[in-house]
Amino acid sequence: MSKHDTPMMDDLEKGPWPSFVSDLKRQAAKSPQCWDILGQMEQSYKDKITHWKHGGIVGVFGYGGGIVGRYSDLPDKFPGVAHFHTVRLNQPSSKFYTTEILRKLCDLWEKRGSGMTNFHGSTGDLVLLGTKTDELEPLFYDLTHDLNWDLGGSGSNLRTPANCIGKSRCEWACYDTDAVCYAMTMKYQDEIHRPAFPYKFKFKFSGCPNDCVAAIARSDLAVIGTWRDAIRINQAEVKNYISGANKPNGGAHSKGSKFDIQKEVISLCPTGCMWMEGDTLKIDDAECTRCMHCLNVMPKALRPGTDQGATIMMGAKAPILDGAQLATMIYPFIKLDAENEFEGLVEIIEKVWDWWMENGKNRERLGETMQRISLPVFLRVLEVEPIPQHVKEPRSNPYVFWREEEVEGGWERDVKEFRKRNAM
Amino acid sequence: MAMSKEELKAAILDKAMKSPKPQLYVKDFYACDPDAKPRDVKNAANDLVKEGKMTFWSSGSTTMYAAKGRAKDEESRGT
Ligand code: HEM
Ligand code: HEM
Ligand code: SF4
Ligand code: SF4
Repeated sequence: MSKHDTPMMDDLEKGPWPSFVSDLKRQAAKSPQCWDILGQMEQSYKDKITHWKHGGIVGVFGYGGGIVGRYSDLPDKFPGVAHFHTVRLNQPSSKFYTTEILRKLCDLWEKRGSGMTNFHGSTGDLVLLGTKTDELEPLFYDLTHDLNWDLGGSGSNLRTPANCIGKSRCEWACYDTDAVCYAMTMKYQDEIHRPAFPYKFKFKFSGCPNDCVAAIARSDLAVIGTWRDAIRINQAEVKNYISGANKPNGGAHSKGSKFDIQKEVISLCPTGCMWMEGDTLKIDDAECTRCMHCLNVMPKALRPGTDQGATIMMGAKAPILDGAQLATMIYPFIKLDAENEFEGLVEIIEKVWDWWMENGKNRERLGETMQRISLPVFLRVLEVEPIPQHVKEPRSNPYVFWREEEVEGGWERDVKEFRKRNAM
Repeated sequence: MAMSKEELKAAILDKAMKSPKPQLYVKDFYACDPDAKPRDVKNAANDLVKEGKMTFWSSGSTTMYAAKGRAKDEESRGT
């Protein structure tokens, strides 16, 4: 393993931004296999085709996930990456680390792998990039015994749950995302480490509709904090924003011009439910969709209400053929209570899993199953009463199909009796 | 009447050994016992992996099952 001639890779070091090519070259001093990564990438740029093969039976004993096998299809030319398996580690909730554990992890990974990491993969895991099959069991032993650290999910498993920082730092959090994420991670260890489903399944937890973990776009089951009562308004602070004493958005997007509450807040409210009466701000909360815009602009004046919980949305996915699909709102509001171990959420999760395991096709995400069977059928499966908020747009499908048991007298009618009153 | 766990495991292993495709989805085993809950079938298949009689085969995004020795590994498949 030594330096290859890589003019196209070297070109990627010329911009003013940080370059992964420079990072790889620096790491190559300790991990010479990094030269082969650069060499293989250069080769791929030339050939315009990937030289990675992925998948296989690699893993650690007892686990059916967390390791993704990866091999070079040019092992003779690039022996350093002949095996280059990816290891997913369950990141801590909110991704809070101590420097001590990070140093230990880096030392271990330089001993057992390439030293290259990805903080963090799209699923949320801390990703260790590149090691050989023989190193997997020793790495896993040290991780679990010395670092007290476990693998994350991959394949047809529950993927490592992820959450926004929530109440640990953020005043907008409507529930304790750390607590729920941790509780669900511990409860569903078997589903994380061993395949359980027709395809992957992801949970994500955001504390408010700002949705900092992008749960709405990236999870089969998104738990997004919200409130049922009225936005709390501090009218004195509203006046301070209007006078300029408070900076809108905490000063983040300020262009120096004077804050105009009409232009920057009221006119931008998507449901048009805000107005001024003299110098008092009014909100018609029944119309508010909890978009968070006004709260984000004036955090000192506006806060979420106090009757807090979460909205459950399902079915986000990003398949290559049909393009991305956001999650659909299924349960508008549930309470999340640590006292009863988040019973309401657990019930919903297990109901949808039981159904999807039976009815989902192989390699079909929950969102695709929902699309295939239609939202009305999906709601019936979950025993959710349809409400106007389930309807995306009126009249795209104006037909309501009643079921026989919902109609008095069923489908049977006496035609002769009817024709007496309505001659043909 | 659903099969006992051992009967279910035997039926799954039989299917994994005889099926023309070496790698199967967990759903392909549901037919081994139409009365069993999907979760029980999954647990039985995972038990067989624990006992070393079957192996997981994962593409990274999906996981399949194969009788031991039948799964194709990228490593041995060659280039
Ligand atoms: C420029 C010409 C036309 C425009 C812009 C137009 C537009 C519309 C619109 C907006 C609706 C309501 C659709 C809905 O409620 O979702 C409608 C309904 C309807 N239009 Fe037209 N229309 C036009 C010409 C015609 C003509 C020439 C006919 C018949 C000869 C016609 C027959 C109908 C019928 C039968 C409906 C009722 C459908 C229903 O809701 O049951 N329209 N039209
Ligand atoms: C090119 C010719 C036609 C066009 C573009 C047309 C268009 C439409 C449209 C847009 C609707 C509304 C569907 C909805 O509610 O979403 C409609 C409904 C209807 N059309 Fe036509 N139509 C045509 C020909 C005809 C003809 C020839 C007849 C009868 C002989 C007819 C009978 C009806 C009836 C009865 C409805 C109401 C159906 C219902 O609401 O259940 N249409 N048509
Ligand atoms: S999603 Fe909401 S609660 Fe969570 S960190 Fe973002 S703004 Fe705060
Ligand atoms: S949260 Fe959004 S919808 Fe609700 S009042 Fe504020 S701007 Fe309007």
